[in-house]
Amino acid sequence: MQISYEDRKDCKVMTGKMALPNHYFAGRLGSKFIIALRDENKILGVKCEKCDKVFVPPREYCERCMSKLDECWVELSNEGVITNYTVVNYNDKHLPRRAPYILALIKVDGADTPFPHIVEGIDAEDVKTGMKVKAVFAEETTNTIRDLDHFEPV
Amino acid sequence: MAKKNRNVGIVGIGQTEYSSHKEHQNQAEMVNEAVRYALEDANITLDDIDCVLHGNMELFEMVFQPDMWHSLGSGAYGKDQFRITTGGTTGASLVCAADNLVASGMYDVVMAIGMEKLQEGHTTGGITNMADPLWFRHLQTGALTATTATMMMDEFGEERAKKAAMKYRILMDKHACLNPRAHRRFGLEYEQADDLMNTSPQLVGELRLIHMCSQSDGACVMIFASEKKAKKMCKTPVWIRDHITVHREETFNNFGIEMPEMTHHYAARKLFERNGIKDPVEYFDVFEMYDPSAWWGLDWAREFLLLKDDEHIKLLEDGEFDLDGKLPINPSGGVTASNPIGATAMLRPAEAAMQLRGDAGPQQIKKKVKHALASGFGGTLWSVLMMLEKDLDWQEVENG
Amino acid sequence: MAEYFGTAVEDIFNTMEERFLSEGTLDVDVTIGYNISGEGGGNWKVTIKEGTLKVEDADGEVTDCTAVLNANAETFVGVTLGKLDAGEAFSSGNIKVDGDLTVLVAILPKAFKPFKPVIKASAIVESVEERFLPEKAEGVDIKIGYDLSGDGGGQWTVVVKDQTCTLKEVLDDDCTVIMRMEAQVFVDLNQGKLDGGTAFSSGQVKVDGDIGVAGQSASLFEKYVAEGAAEEEGEELISLKCVPSINQRYATGPTMGKWFDGLKEKKFFASKCPQCGRTLVPPREICAQCRVRCNEFVEVGPDATVTLIDVVYYASPDPLTGKIRETPYTALFMVLDGVSRDESFAHDLNPKDIDRIKPGMKVRPVWAEKRMGTYRDLLYFEIAD
Repeated sequence: MQISYEDRKDCKVMTGKMALPNHYFAGRLGSKFIIALRDENKILGVKCEKCDKVFVPPREYCERCMSKLDECWVELSNEGVITNYTVVNYNDKHLPRRAPYILALIKVDGADTPFPHIVEGIDAEDVKTGMKVKAVFAEETTNTIRDLDHFEPV
Repeated sequence: MAKKNRNVGIVGIGQTEYSSHKEHQNQAEMVNEAVRYALEDANITLDDIDCVLHGNMELFEMVFQPDMWHSLGSGAYGKDQFRITTGGTTGASLVCAADNLVASGMYDVVMAIGMEKLQEGHTTGGITNMADPLWFRHLQTGALTATTATMMMDEFGEERAKKAAMKYRILMDKHACLNPRAHRRFGLEYEQADDLMNTSPQLVGELRLIHMCSQSDGACVMIFASEKKAKKMCKTPVWIRDHITVHREETFNNFGIEMPEMTHHYAARKLFERNGIKDPVEYFDVFEMYDPSAWWGLDWAREFLLLKDDEHIKLLEDGEFDLDGKLPINPSGGVTASNPIGATAMLRPAEAAMQLRGDAGPQQIKKKVKHALASGFGGTLWSVLMMLEKDLDWQEVENG
Repeated sequence: MAEYFGTAVEDIFNTMEERFLSEGTLDVDVTIGYNISGEGGGNWKVTIKEGTLKVEDADGEVTDCTAVLNANAETFVGVTLGKLDAGEAFSSGNIKVDGDLTVLVAILPKAFKPFKPVIKASAIVESVEERFLPEKAEGVDIKIGYDLSGDGGGQWTVVVKDQTCTLKEVLDDDCTVIMRMEAQVFVDLNQGKLDGGTAFSSGQVKVDGDIGVAGQSASLFEKYVAEGAAEEEGEELISLKCVPSINQRYATGPTMGKWFDGLKEKKFFASKCPQCGRTLVPPREICAQCRVRCNEFVEVGPDATVTLIDVVYYASPDPLTGKIRETPYTALFMVLDGVSRDESFAHDLNPKDIDRIKPGMKVRPVWAEKRMGTYRDLLYFEIAD
């Protein structure tokens, strides 16, 4: 069905804004993870004995076998490898850095799951998967994952 | 209407407690709690689940598509999953969808998850953002209107209507006090009716704070199985007999000089007709109704039960909606007691199913419960109406 | 009543039942006598037997028990609250024990949860000036009245103005808001044991005046911590609050486009269904009942007949700006002239007509002076007389 010219002349576009006030809770385990980053500059994970997997960031139950993990904390290394990466080339007010910056998946030693974070101190064309990186913690903390500020090449 | 391919049984139910303080859990962990309870109740593991349905009020936590994140707790990893967001009716739609999926033969065991964590979101923001941005957004008063109260006072007289709404409210609270999971349990007594009627702050017109539903956090999970599997897995499966979903237009335009047939009435009429139910008050042993406010709860009792004039008020005044009455309404306390929006409409068939099973806990109806009715509500008067049965012995009425 | 460290002696005994830990005393069978001298003192006999507790007032000195504790009131309260060193109290003779001392040392900690001082409503209100946070009160000019009944209650007015706070021991007539409740309810609310929403909706708290101010006032004061209450060691739970927003562009389409063009010319255009003939306002492209396209537009109104009235007392804040509409305001449901009888139209009422408006009345629209073809062109409706 086509819209005729007469129909189109009445069409308008109105601009507006949609607000999304929200209040996220990390939960007991999420809180402990952030507090360890913030106060002790340590990265913590949890281990599922049944699946023999170490998850980071931690979660209360193993998603595959439903074992309870809240008392199976493991201290992980502050060093790891890049398993994959991308370069963010655009700017937006919610982004943590000005473009271009490197966003990578980093598997810290001891963990079975990588997590995303920023990599600095290297040019984008020199980044390689498998590269060794180490964590650099934030001076000013925000009670978020950004209390770990970024990773840089070892 | 097409016949079902096979019957669908409810084999597991899990609920978290409903409260407005769940700072110790994130959303995925809260979902996981209900999932574990349901699996325990059904005595199965995640391996037995073929498909996961996930639903909540989209954007009420101010995040989109939380089902992806919730796979950390929902057990959906590697499984078929569908997402259902039909506003306030989400919970009931989840049950309808599960029923359809299992009845069709596509899946044998389906787990449906309804959740809401309103503390993390902004209810007003959600409702405002749901309204038509061109015209209705700036007129929205959230979900609050006193038109039903005004109409009831016109029809039955101010005093009788106000007394009835208050009696309904206190009855719901008495039921809620029996329900260990209910969010709000005030311990109201009938002697307080006059005082509350006149002193509870007015929100809109005669709709007062005491009449309104709560805003709760919580999750509800139900597990459905085909007849053959249900009978094998579960000692007391209960059955979904039929369900209907009816919508109105996406505007609240039905307060004119003449009123069109209400969606609830239409849904009830069609559902009962095709199932051969001539007298719903006689037939059903319990009605878990989605009642967002005491006024609506009372008014919709008339619509859903196809009553006339003041029959519904008479039933209330005679105590027939009490736990030991002819047709108990909301033994769980209803929506005024607990309202975790994405799960609320699922709580209705869940509590009804527990009544049929006989293990609803302190709020269990003493008489034998064999036939249950459950309703869901959302948006501009969308209705979901569902019939549940204890035994597989109903005769289908051929209706073409 | 005599109080030491904010607590009366009898508070400690009156709370023994609720502090009793039955599971810690299943193999216990003892009696403990208390002879507390000085103002506010008294004599009590406590029997703990196989998980049960009995606390009795005694007339005069208590003697034949497994252990008898003799102390003056201030020492007894101080040691119980941990304000005074127990060891020192014994050594100095301020506490004397007749009988089996090990009973007190080994059994009491297992038998009772530590005593937390009873908080009185009056103590909370009387400390407002010290707990006031002037930096939070910029531009605030309010009088909060408290009318608390029962033990520890009273009537007060808290005046907050020019970033200072003054407490008056009377209830002023011109308070911005007055909160009335039992003193214990006030304490429970203040200490987080009862949540505001519940207290309010269940009628335990009655509010006269501006409810919004009542809610806001809590942020002007530091939390009240009772003398002698130990800081509760809670788990730190992290949460993150933010208000992102999304820019949006909405296409009106030709149907709503025509509606907005009409507003610019002070006209209402409805769409008409070719099958059932009903008029839809605001116009919609499809008649939902007949499921056919409505090509025809008809001009309707501008006057209307009122069918239902909603007087709104509670307005939710705008999620984007946080602004709240001034209440009460009236929302009208009406049928515009020329529209089918079952199609209502909703809009606001001119505030000047709030007291006169009744269903059945005729109303007419009031337009903005400058109209641009948006929803702001139509201001409200008013009584057409």
